[in-house]
Amino acid sequence: MLEVKNLRKEYGGLTAVKGITFDLNPGDIFGFIGSNGAGKTTTIRMISTLLEPTSGTAVLNGADIRRNPMDVRRMIGYMPDFFGLYDDVKVWEYLDFFAAIYQVPQKQRTDVIDSVLELTNLTVKKQAFVQSLSRGMQQRLCLARCLVHDPTLLLLDEPASGLDPRARAELKELIAELGRMGKIVIVSSHILPELADFCNTVGIIERGELLAFGPVSQIVKDIQPHRVFAANILTDRERAIECLIGQASVLDAKLGDDGEVRIEFIGDLDAQADLLAALIGNGFRVTSFKEDSADLEDVFLKLTTGAVN
Amino acid sequence: MIRDRIRELVVHNPMLVEITRFRRRYFTFSSGNSMNSVILSLVLICYAGLVLVVADNRDGMDPTILVHLEMILLTLFAPMMLYGSIAGERERRSWDLLLAAPITKSQIVAGKFMGAMAALGIAFGLFQIPILIAATGDRDTNWYHLFVASLVALSFLLLVCALTIFFSARVKRGLMALGAVLGLLTMGLIVAPAFLTMAATADHGGADPTMFLHPTYVLSQLSIRPRINYSDKTGDAVVSTLTWGWPQILVYIALTLTLLAWASNTLNFAENEVKFLPQGDKNARS
Repeated sequence: MLEVKNLRKEYGGLTAVKGITFDLNPGDIFGFIGSNGAGKTTTIRMISTLLEPTSGTAVLNGADIRRNPMDVRRMIGYMPDFFGLYDDVKVWEYLDFFAAIYQVPQKQRTDVIDSVLELTNLTVKKQAFVQSLSRGMQQRLCLARCLVHDPTLLLLDEPASGLDPRARAELKELIAELGRMGKIVIVSSHILPELADFCNTVGIIERGELLAFGPVSQIVKDIQPHRVFAANILTDRERAIECLIGQASVLDAKLGDDGEVRIEFIGDLDAQADLLAALIGNGFRVTSFKEDSADLEDVFLKLTTGAVN
Repeated sequence: MIRDRIRELVVHNPMLVEITRFRRRYFTFSSGNSMNSVILSLVLICYAGLVLVVADNRDGMDPTILVHLEMILLTLFAPMMLYGSIAGERERRSWDLLLAAPITKSQIVAGKFMGAMAALGIAFGLFQIPILIAATGDRDTNWYHLFVASLVALSFLLLVCALTIFFSARVKRGLMALGAVLGLLTMGLIVAPAFLTMAATADHGGADPTMFLHPTYVLSQLSIRPRINYSDKTGDAVVSTLTWGWPQILVYIALTLTLLAWASNTLNFAENEVKFLPQGDKNARS
């Protein structure tokens, strides 16, 4: 279990992270969302023991990042947003080097390397020099490196950057699989729809403050507690709005910028059908009537202002 | 405790992969770098030429001249091998991967140092062949002095390697480390001795104590004096290796260990942090 407790980082007069707190359990895939400069990377670097927090701490399975950094390092796999690989080493040597650093017993290393190469689809490149790999392959090699010691926590900072669509899809599947294996995965990304696909928990950070934290559905519900429908009505929209507001299941209705009528709705499926019937029954010419459900991007745009530290 | 330390730094140090990297980069033709292959070919041709020249002149060549040559060449080569050892990791962005791993700073420095020394050791070993050829052909060879001279060259090489790693650990860019080391060597071995020599023109003509740590001066003391004494039984007293030789070796080794320990203690900052700037400087917070 990872417990992040009031983690704070100050650089001189600048507070990069303003005391954020959250807990994650095995199997959680946590999407860390924020604009550039919001504090995502600083938070990840503190958890990975690369930066010392100004105050607060994080505890991974009982090991404190400030008091037992070496113990924490043995349990984490860290993939930075930008990273370099060594020249003059082959793929298997690179993994063997990190397996040795993480004290994987020598007898097991060959099997471990083979399995992580297979998991990341790099088996055919085992004997290649790392500098000869494409960007996507290097990204996968870095992920393979994170996995050689079977870490409890994976910290992936923008892991999909620079990957082609197929590689992104494969990475998504791989991260989901790691979550199913019981690992805690923290992924930061700007590509919100992708995160929503495989993260079961998200956190939105802006100017060092965690604005929202929890399951995607819960966060969406928090910012949009009621269902919203968008109706496209050909004529007499003002009168249609008056008609809608008069319905018991409608909290509010207003005309949107795109010409659609947005209806805040609190009823069940029957009430939904009744509402549509009422519109048509009153002679309004409805060309579409659909639920307008918020997604992670809507949540992000609603909660954040785009300001950076 | 010492045994544990040796196990940690030498026997079970994963950073010893650096030996493979240095060997592959400088001593193989299959590293994929054609420039390295060309340079290695030229070096081998020059080496073969040197061996042939020495073999041809085995009656008249002072072997300590070759020790001088060995030390100068390797002293120039070592910074070029090592300037990027740590600063280069930062530039390449591979540094964070090491810092986030359960490896100690001492292991990182020791691994880099041993990797370079293994590569330089091969070059040092190859140089012993022409030196031995010249020494066996020279009936005046003082084998003990030759041995001490070789140790002086080797220990000074250790010091240059440690100095390069130290600068590489302290600066942000590898080329800054290279410039700093070459500048310091130029100042310490050429410019400062030249000034000292000019300032001491009215000297008594004996051994200059201000050159106590100058490696080529030490080598010249070791090479010339024994020969004079050896061939001329009534000549000057033999230069004692307790004055010129062993003290310098010990000082070089002590400085090497100090610089390596200092470099280890410098490794706690991650990339983008500029260690040489004062903490309050806004650029130090980038």
